[in-house]
Amino acid sequence: MTEDKKTMSRRDFFKGAAMGMLGGTALAMGLFSYTPWRKAYFPGVQRKLTDIGACKYVKVTNISETSWFSNADLMGDIKGAGGLLVNQYSYNWPPFGDGNGLGKGSYDKGIAKIKHLLPNDLEEAWAITEKLSVHPENAGGFACLIELEEMNGKQHKYLLDSGWSYKWTDECFKREGIDQMLKNKEIEALFISHEHFDHYWGIPVTYKYDPTITTYIPDGFYPEGLKYLEDSGHKGQVIKVKAGLNPIIPGFASFVFAIPIICRVYGEQSLYFNVKDHGLVSVTGCCHQSIIQFAETAYREIQYEKDQLYGVYGGLHVSPFEDWDPKYDDLVISLGKYGFQKIGCNHCTGILCAKKFVEAGYPVIRGTAQFRSKETVYLGNGDKIGFGIEV
Amino acid sequence: MERYGTGYLEERKLVPRWPQPIPAIVALVVTLLVFYITWWIFQDPRGWMRMYTPYVGYMYTRWWLIMLIWMVYIFNYWPFKRSWLENTHPITKGVVLTAISIAILWLLIKGFFETLLGNFGLAYFNPARLTALPGVTEFFAIEYAALACLMFAAIASWLSPAWVVACEETPWQDLRQPGKGISILVMTFFLSTVIFFMTMHSHMGILYYPWQYFTSIAPPYWEKFADTVSGNFHVSWIMCCTVTVWIVETIWERFPFKLIKTNWLRRVVAFFGIIAIAWAMHFFLYFAQELTWGAAIRGTRRDFAPDWRWLHVGEMAVFFLVPALFITFYCGNWPKRFSLPTNVFIRTLITAAAAILLYIFYYATSHDFLGTQKGFSHPQQFPMIPTIWLINIWLAHHWFMDNWPGWKMVPKTADEIAADHAAEKVQLAEVRWNPSLGWGLGAGAVCGVVAYFIILSVLPWAYESITIIK
Repeated sequence: MTEDKKTMSRRDFFKGAAMGMLGGTALAMGLFSYTPWRKAYFPGVQRKLTDIGACKYVKVTNISETSWFSNADLMGDIKGAGGLLVNQYSYNWPPFGDGNGLGKGSYDKGIAKIKHLLPNDLEEAWAITEKLSVHPENAGGFACLIELEEMNGKQHKYLLDSGWSYKWTDECFKREGIDQMLKNKEIEALFISHEHFDHYWGIPVTYKYDPTITTYIPDGFYPEGLKYLEDSGHKGQVIKVKAGLNPIIPGFASFVFAIPIICRVYGEQSLYFNVKDHGLVSVTGCCHQSIIQFAETAYREIQYEKDQLYGVYGGLHVSPFEDWDPKYDDLVISLGKYGFQKIGCNHCTGILCAKKFVEAGYPVIRGTAQFRSKETVYLGNGDKIGFGIEV
Repeated sequence: MERYGTGYLEERKLVPRWPQPIPAIVALVVTLLVFYITWWIFQDPRGWMRMYTPYVGYMYTRWWLIMLIWMVYIFNYWPFKRSWLENTHPITKGVVLTAISIAILWLLIKGFFETLLGNFGLAYFNPARLTALPGVTEFFAIEYAALACLMFAAIASWLSPAWVVACEETPWQDLRQPGKGISILVMTFFLSTVIFFMTMHSHMGILYYPWQYFTSIAPPYWEKFADTVSGNFHVSWIMCCTVTVWIVETIWERFPFKLIKTNWLRRVVAFFGIIAIAWAMHFFLYFAQELTWGAAIRGTRRDFAPDWRWLHVGEMAVFFLVPALFITFYCGNWPKRFSLPTNVFIRTLITAAAAILLYIFYYATSHDFLGTQKGFSHPQQFPMIPTIWLINIWLAHHWFMDNWPGWKMVPKTADEIAADHAAEKVQLAEVRWNPSLGWGLGAGAVCGVVAYFIILSVLPWAYESITIIK
């Protein structure tokens, strides 16, 4: 043997070691990372089983699910303003129109035109903003009334969201008698699901009838949104709900998801109700976190009747603009295994998605397609749904 | 015989005007400045043209990358002559060649995809045709068509350089331009089309209601394996292929494939070896997300959705490409003092560390200065767009502008070129089989496997310890 073969060459050893390290790591990455054995690394699901109590029933009245009336106009505006990432306050949509045109607006310039009229003279405020805004006729809004009864018989009413157009929201409030309920202080609190225009920009309509109503907002509002609470004439308590579970009364809790949302919005608050002898009911504004994430979160966090995910109401944010993506099919395919028994979807769920739910055999509650709702395939404006109670 | 730009990149000597790291810092500052100005003009949602919708901006970004690869790697700067490349001021070259790349890009998107394919083949490439269909708004028609184009681009941006880097232009390596370029272009475009149909067409087929059972495989064949019907599963591994090709070409200097002496074997092993490494990356980066965020849940949105997790694999992979290119373009592929495998190993470690830091920096700050959305998984948060936009600027700067102003281009003499070739031969000859190398290889492989399992254990703890997004 030569001297070279007898003795170890440090340089050659390191050459080999360098190659071996790269090769060994790559080999392990390729051969192990997507095998079933990798699941040994996943922590088991630790259920917190937080007891939020139970209620007798929950009833939801759809005040309005038609956030806008023309997808083409809405998406045309969004496209013209620069896409789905653009700050919603710059679109120059009502009520923050300043007359400078699409994509050139701002909260400060817009609110300056109408601030002095809020919240009492909304007709005049809307008349002004109609002249200064882009597509004011397209504004609708999302809002619903939630009624529930505690096990001791005490009844409660809450609002989830307050629409967009002052004019449309006020009309809907009057149609469903919300104006009188607010005046009579029957409605205990307003829950804002998130800062989007169609859920939040109509808050002066609620404050017109009850400026002192307690308002729950999810943590993560931008400065414009926080300023709007003051500028809308609100004089009551504002509760910024941190990410996570927030029990309200027995059988009712809200949950804030810290997630980014299109049009420069952050955070969404959704509602859980534990209905005696039925199971968990989820009520959502847009459910940007996804209904399955909402259900999985409930499974991890909350103790609920019969361990059953019973029902859902609201926007499920699947195809709000009647757009589609194969990942939405993942949702349609997967939803069945969660066993929901009553699906009261509408709004940003999208008509196409509702059709696919029906085709998949899910218990979607049909609507009446009244008051400008387009299809009977889901719950429309003025329709009601009960969980633990027939309506 | 006019050689045009064949061999230009190998036969130019970039002489730094100042001692390092000054030229690298100057290059970084200048290119970041150009990046930010052009980002504001073309992409930023708060800027002028606002192409970050996101798919429109993404489509142009991906295809521009391919235009640069076509011009330099496939057509070797044809029809520009070597004398023009050597004697023209870098700014003039940069302006002229970039303008041409943009013109070809525009022709390809508008002429080939939208007009030709979109009118005479597949409607989903043409926004106007989609808008005419019931229920599709103009915005989403444009987005869907851009998505189809960019999915094609994802494949082409892997195969175009792979044919040069791995297959060494075979069998056209001795052909003159533009014959060589056209041949490679046709071959890679053909392969891209085949792979597009096998990986992305089903995605497009189920994008429209009802599922297009008669024209695409629905549900797609990868559904059970990938836990999603989305084509993002393929975007993931194809993106990893793109990144691996460039890592092999830059910081790995085509190692270890260039150790194989038999031409056909080297080319085959390199082509499929790159795919194998990419798949390892593809699986590992998915697993890394499971370790940090928890197992994916099908049907959810955002960071728990399998389709997004696969997309994010591609997004994570591109963070590795940025430091790799910087090391090669602006740091002279440092270090070079050790043996080739050791140099490659050290550069890989540096690249991995830099990629992790860049990832953290991007997600911690991008929403403050790029106009993107805060968070990892927002549907409009596409880190591939700004990172590839920066890479495009670096490619234009390095290929078209000879790293000006930090470096000066001087053509190598025949002796210098010969010396380079000789040095490479010596470097390769150094990596020869002997017991020391064998022991090192074995010990290294064991250490590599151990390192992998240590990473698996450390990742969840490391992620918990760092607050990336406040």
